[in-house]
Amino acid sequence: MEQLLTGNVATNLYWFGRYLERIESLLLEVVPAFDKMIDIDKDCGKELYAKLDIDIEYKDSKEFLNVALFSDHSANIHTLMEFARENAIICRADMYTSAFGTVIELSDLIKKEKNITQVEFRFIDKILSLISEIWGELTRRQKRNTSDYFIRLGKLVEKVDLHLRLERNKEFSLIVMDEIDKIVKILAPDAIFTAHDENDSYEVILNSINAKINKIVIE
Amino acid sequence: MINDKNSVTNTFWEIFSKQDVNKIDEFQKYMDKFAVNFNLYKDGNFIERSLPFDVIPRIIESKEFDKLDRGLSQRIRALNLFLEDLYTSKNIIKDNIIPEEFIYQAKGYLKELNGISPSKKIRTHINGIDLVKDTVTNDWVILEDNLRVPSGASYPLSIRDTYRKIYPEFFESLKIKPIKEYPSILRESMDYVNCGGINVVLTPGRFNSAYYEHAYLAKKMGAQLVRNSELVVKNKIVYFRNYNGKDIRVGAVYKRMDDEFLDPKFFNSDSLIGVPGIMEAYLSGNVALLNAPGNGVADDKGIYYFVPKMIKYYLNEEPILKNAPTYLPYFEEDRKYVFDNMEKLVIKDVAEAGGYGVLFGHEMTKLQIEDLKTIIKTDPRRFIAQELIEFYDEKCYLNNEIVPRKADFRAYVVMAEEPKVWQCGLTRYAMEEGNYLVNSSQGGGFKDTWVMEE
Repeated sequence: MEQLLTGNVATNLYWFGRYLERIESLLLEVVPAFDKMIDIDKDCGKELYAKLDIDIEYKDSKEFLNVALFSDHSANIHTLMEFARENAIICRADMYTSAFGTVIELSDLIKKEKNITQVEFRFIDKILSLISEIWGELTRRQKRNTSDYFIRLGKLVEKVDLHLRLERNKEFSLIVMDEIDKIVKILAPDAIFTAHDENDSYEVILNSINAKINKIVIE
Repeated sequence: MINDKNSVTNTFWEIFSKQDVNKIDEFQKYMDKFAVNFNLYKDGNFIERSLPFDVIPRIIESKEFDKLDRGLSQRIRALNLFLEDLYTSKNIIKDNIIPEEFIYQAKGYLKELNGISPSKKIRTHINGIDLVKDTVTNDWVILEDNLRVPSGASYPLSIRDTYRKIYPEFFESLKIKPIKEYPSILRESMDYVNCGGINVVLTPGRFNSAYYEHAYLAKKMGAQLVRNSELVVKNKIVYFRNYNGKDIRVGAVYKRMDDEFLDPKFFNSDSLIGVPGIMEAYLSGNVALLNAPGNGVADDKGIYYFVPKMIKYYLNEEPILKNAPTYLPYFEEDRKYVFDNMEKLVIKDVAEAGGYGVLFGHEMTKLQIEDLKTIIKTDPRRFIAQELIEFYDEKCYLNNEIVPRKADFRAYVVMAEEPKVWQCGLTRYAMEEGNYLVNSSQGGGFKDTWVMEE
């Protein structure tokens, strides 16, 4: 029997995927910026966060880690993780137990670390490793459930979103969009969507994604 | 006093002495990682916390548990018959077994449900019966019946899995009854009364103290976990609304909230967690509700007094398990006894639960006792008094030493065509030595319960 999910649970699964991916993608951007600012370009961290409409100040690479991860801004990973944790708790009955456990472990780790004076680089490695573990646990089974598709949808949408905000290569976003379309087709086989193409602006692509998501969950 | 006079306990201690106690921390890590929580509200704040766990299990020999099994099954059969009778024929009142006004004053009695008989005439689907073992008689004694929303079964279920991973030696060497079947017993009960459609577990939401349990049991029994807004009622039929807008009929609802919050159109109109119209669907026979609305009358502490009489009345049998000696100040003779002996009695407010409203006479000042007498005189139906039972302590491994703690036992009885007693239960212990209040909401912890053959 097809897995049943309420709109509320589906939405929480989707946002869980988005927040977790947001943390991972941000950290994957922070890693090279940290390396670059040590001896090449001190301001590269500021430039990175400016693209996310966040102004940050720091005096060296170590302080950059503290500011990037835990300062009072919308990309604070503790806040993002709290959102992801909350989503996971609401849909825990429809999530793999092992993945759920790792979400809580990750959330506890970040919560503990936020009170530490100096964030060490290995902390980022640990977070990324736990996130990889969660993604792995969510794809362990051969057959995907509806809940897996919602999480994956959130993950992919977030990937495109960040990619476009950082004004990266549009081609990559279009490839991810194709994958999003495949999932949308599975979750809402009868819905009709406008096709996108490479001439569309970033804004059009993002709007097209949001239009698709809004048609999947019917309240 | 600790009850450890059986041979299976000795074998346990032999194995325990060879174990690495440093591994005990892994239980807490497991509960933290999987958020095995029993949440609390303290000073208006929501606190997510795991239930304290003690590694030393309560051990009950199989032959001893067999008697519990028979006694609990008997009790639930009688209680189910009582509820069915009370809401339909009312023979127990007509035959003067229970005074009429005593029933009608019970807070959990819902006169709106008179004449209604639920699916398969089952009302007591999932029951938690609290017992202690008396050190004087060495018998198990029933302290209260929880026939509304008994919680707690998920904690031993979760921890047993962990126990087997951390200390497999016990399960290899001892004949411990497996307990994994509990969710399937629940499922059987839901399927048995299902009126056509899927099974759902209705939770008040993630801020409820037992939310972990709601999610855990729903997942394990293959039912959908739902919040009120995820169900809709149309033409007296309850539907689960799928994310794609498709409505799927619901045949049975395991509701994890008190009756008064269940349906704002029928009960408390201020309820924000209920499902409007669900009672109409229930009254039309289109959905089964577990446990049946109106059960609160049977786990009223005052009605508890009459359960042995119910067993004789409905089953024509002698009760296998005894109640704690109980007095009803409502009856003049009992009231006199209570007033003369208040210092040695436990006084309970019949409308309270979770360890609230329990007063120990020996802990009260003379002034407090006099005040209480005045309150009882004004509203004698509101209280019961019980002899203080000296029940056995259980050994607990707390702060690296073995110490005695008062512990009760909640047995779970699930009813489909016949009642089934789960061969485990929730052993709850008090955190402080000598404290008789073991409830989780009073800060108590839990242990696994091993039913073992020699």
